[in-house]
Amino acid sequence: MSPPSKTGSKKKTGSKKTKASRKRSASRGSTGGGGPRGGKKAPRRSLAGRVFRLGLMLAGLGIGLLVPWMLWLNHVVTAEFEGRKWDLPSRVYARPLSLYEGQALSPEFLRQELLAAAYVKSDSADREGSWSGGGGRYEIHRRGFRFEDGIQQPLKFRLELDNGIVTRLTSPAGGGDLGLIRLDPAEIASIYPLHDEDRTLVSMEEVPELLVTGLQAVEDRSFKHHYGVDPRGIARAAWVNLREGGTVQGGSTLTQQLVKNYYLSNVQSLPRKINEALMALLLEWHYSKAEILEAYLNEVFLGQQGNHAIHGFARGSQYYFGAPLNQVQAHQIALLVGIVKGASLYNPRRNPERALERRNQVLAVFGETGLLTAAEVKTLQSLPLDVTPTPSISGNRYPAFVDLVRDQLQRDYRESDLRNAGLRIFTTLAPAEQAAAEEAVTGGLDELASAGLPPDLQGAIVLADVDSGEVRAVVGDRNPARKGFNRALNARRQVGSVIKPIVYLLALEHPEHYSWLSMIEDEPITLRQADGTLWSPSNYDNRSHGEVSLLEAMTRSYNQATVRLGMNIGLTEFTGKLAQLGIEQDIPSVPATLLGAVELTPMEVTQVYQSLAAGGFSVPLRAVTAVQTAQGDALNRYPLRLRPLERRDAVAVLNYGMTRVIAEGTARALPGLLRQDVIIAGKTGTTNERRDSWFVGYTRDRLAVAWVGLDDNRPAGVTGSNAALRVWARLFRQLPMLPVSLDMPEGAYWTWVERDRALLSASGCPGAEQMPFVEGSAPVDASPCKVRESDNETSFWRKWFDRD
Amino acid sequence: MIAIKAQLLKGLTARLSMSRFALAWFSTRGFLQARASSGRVLSPLIAVTLLSACASQPPAPIEERELEERVRTPAREASAGVQVYPLKNPAVAELTAQASQAEADGDLSQAAILLERAMRIQPRDPELLQQMAEVQLQRSEYSQAISFATRSHDIGPRVGELCARNWHTMSVAYERLGEVSEANLAQSRSQQCMVTRPTGL
Repeated sequence: MSPPSKTGSKKKTGSKKTKASRKRSASRGSTGGGGPRGGKKAPRRSLAGRVFRLGLMLAGLGIGLLVPWMLWLNHVVTAEFEGRKWDLPSRVYARPLSLYEGQALSPEFLRQELLAAAYVKSDSADREGSWSGGGGRYEIHRRGFRFEDGIQQPLKFRLELDNGIVTRLTSPAGGGDLGLIRLDPAEIASIYPLHDEDRTLVSMEEVPELLVTGLQAVEDRSFKHHYGVDPRGIARAAWVNLREGGTVQGGSTLTQQLVKNYYLSNVQSLPRKINEALMALLLEWHYSKAEILEAYLNEVFLGQQGNHAIHGFARGSQYYFGAPLNQVQAHQIALLVGIVKGASLYNPRRNPERALERRNQVLAVFGETGLLTAAEVKTLQSLPLDVTPTPSISGNRYPAFVDLVRDQLQRDYRESDLRNAGLRIFTTLAPAEQAAAEEAVTGGLDELASAGLPPDLQGAIVLADVDSGEVRAVVGDRNPARKGFNRALNARRQVGSVIKPIVYLLALEHPEHYSWLSMIEDEPITLRQADGTLWSPSNYDNRSHGEVSLLEAMTRSYNQATVRLGMNIGLTEFTGKLAQLGIEQDIPSVPATLLGAVELTPMEVTQVYQSLAAGGFSVPLRAVTAVQTAQGDALNRYPLRLRPLERRDAVAVLNYGMTRVIAEGTARALPGLLRQDVIIAGKTGTTNERRDSWFVGYTRDRLAVAWVGLDDNRPAGVTGSNAALRVWARLFRQLPMLPVSLDMPEGAYWTWVERDRALLSASGCPGAEQMPFVEGSAPVDASPCKVRESDNETSFWRKWFDRD
Repeated sequence: MIAIKAQLLKGLTARLSMSRFALAWFSTRGFLQARASSGRVLSPLIAVTLLSACASQPPAPIEERELEERVRTPAREASAGVQVYPLKNPAVAELTAQASQAEADGDLSQAAILLERAMRIQPRDPELLQQMAEVQLQRSEYSQAISFATRSHDIGPRVGELCARNWHTMSVAYERLGEVSEANLAQSRSQQCMVTRPTGL
């Protein structure tokens, strides 16, 4: 039953006090009663006198006892009832799925989204929250929902998918195509009060008539008339139960039941029964029937989900049917009313036969009392329970993402408000993408283990929308449902080569010195570190490669060239850039940081690359877009806010280089793993002795960072391309992919060059390819082929001008 | 019961962090005030005073009429003939139409919410980004107006009417921020939208 909450413990101390005061008043009462006669010597007592005196004494005792006791109970009843704050858990919602023609959507994604939003598959999608169809043609009946930009009505619509694209959206009622449809969002988590009561408040107007009348018919027929206790009801219940040979009706009034739930522990004893009756009388004295009934509807205990007690019919209806209370049908109402008698005994998921029997009993009572006709009762009794197989309200299935939600909200809200104030929290989670990310980590790590890597490898993924910085998925453990250490947010690991592109970004920001075709020496280099020791980095293949272009140095991830370049540019510029890109912690200004000897979390790496993937527009990563009160009033919005970086031309040119990492560099394996050839930008990262494997990669609209390693930081045999890259590919294989945009902003442009000799070239010339350059950084000298062509061009123009 | 529910709200206090820069603060603040429909005049005024501390007089917020006169009309007139019309997704068109309606009704918060939804569908639509810039301008969110107009310019055609609207928006926003030289530069850039072919396309 309902767990002993704060109120429960208060109650215990309360009744102790009462016992003490009762003792005091009792002794006072006896002296008061016996006092006046005490002085006289008593004559021989007659029997009548004795009885009279005893009666008087008892009356005095009774009054002396009862009056303060009643006053105390009165205080308890009113103070608690009026001061009662319902602690409401906050509800956390996923981003709503928007549907429109031309949208990329696979049948699997649609299925995942509908599942997450507790849509039930049915034959005809007649009811809100149900869907039907398959094979590319679906009917979906979306529920009404209150969004931050207005209330959205329920709607039944048709959806056609072809080849992973939404091809048509129509209304079955006829009429034109529908432009944009937004489903109601999946409820992905709740943040519960400390006493773990789960409840959604409902007001009398929102409760179906049949529930209100039916509840009275079954539990308390004379509720409208009695004063809190109902002797006739007790008698009738006893008679009915005797006749039926079992407890069909209870004798307690609704008021008594409420009192029991509200104020008293669950121990069955006579004094408790008396207390209950007295408090019921007092409650009725002070409050209207409507107030008492509404409190009952919200208080009644209806089930237990893990640690959370389900209270009230509104939450009960969500829990058992996945539907709001105003949408449940008569036979479901009867089930809810039946469950009141014993939530565990009649649990329709665990004890379906018993629950069905109880429901049909309740339906019969509905018939006897004239709430339903005999024919209706008969039809309804033949229906199944219509309970969703698993609770459609989430038992916090996405612990890693919810950690991020809490992180973001804790800047603006107190913990107690999150737990008790019934906030509606709108987040950016995409359930289908989260499912894909979970599969990628779990399945990917299993695959790596079977390929000979340690079986206890751990992994993490952060997946974000490139332009908005909205986080779509977070996985922080190879078992994503496990609550605990969240590696995506909290594992600080050396990042290795994943940091190198920042060195090249800085170079490209100096077009007077560097372009992708500038040469740098990849030769042994020795630097003095802060502690005075010497440091000579070697390359991954233990070779030096001589003079190489910056492009080759980055795509092949050469350490010696990168360190030399970074030292030429300056360490302070490097650490300053990281700060600019959103790294808040202090980065040590030592040469080794150029090769990623710096510990960052996957989340932080994602933040750094968000700015780059978005073409130099930095956005703080967000998990929450808006917060509303329980009533739907706006409290906070976390809108999209852009911060343009200064050298966006260099960022665009860098993005080209990162696409070459995949086309010709260390991540060459990726296109094969994806089984698709889309332009993707990315960078691998490996740390010393193969402890960490990183891959950061982005398409036009999705950015993901994957990390793989061992929790105790032992060497794990992983490299960027043998582990994290595979996990990343496993995720993106399930996502629609758009090619990275390589359009250049102002200040950068594409031109034809001959890469090997770093010369300007032209289309059709030998070895010519297009490459972007920041203005002022492109080669000056032209290849002979290009020169010839310019000559032709000049002569053409000369001819044209010199015509006459 | 109603009274009990009302108490819930009282207990709930959103702590607004002042630590971040003033603009972030005003965005939330302005939104809450607009909802409460009191002190509506106050917040943009304070915002402007804070933001343009050097300017002698706090300028009034940008109104639709001014936006029309200083951003949209000059851009339209000057660009006749040099026009670029991008294709529009119908879902995005539906949302931008609703946003324009909200903007016309003076509900700028709602307009911003709708445009943000449209951007989730088509994040790199220069037209959409410019519309957001203009809404931010009217909300006195000058730095965000500049950011969105910059983004629109970066990925937009950099020629014709849209280009002119980008630079006019930046010019007005810089002017309100008291950055005169930036404002003048943006103004002169708006002239070039009709002559120069952009590089890098």
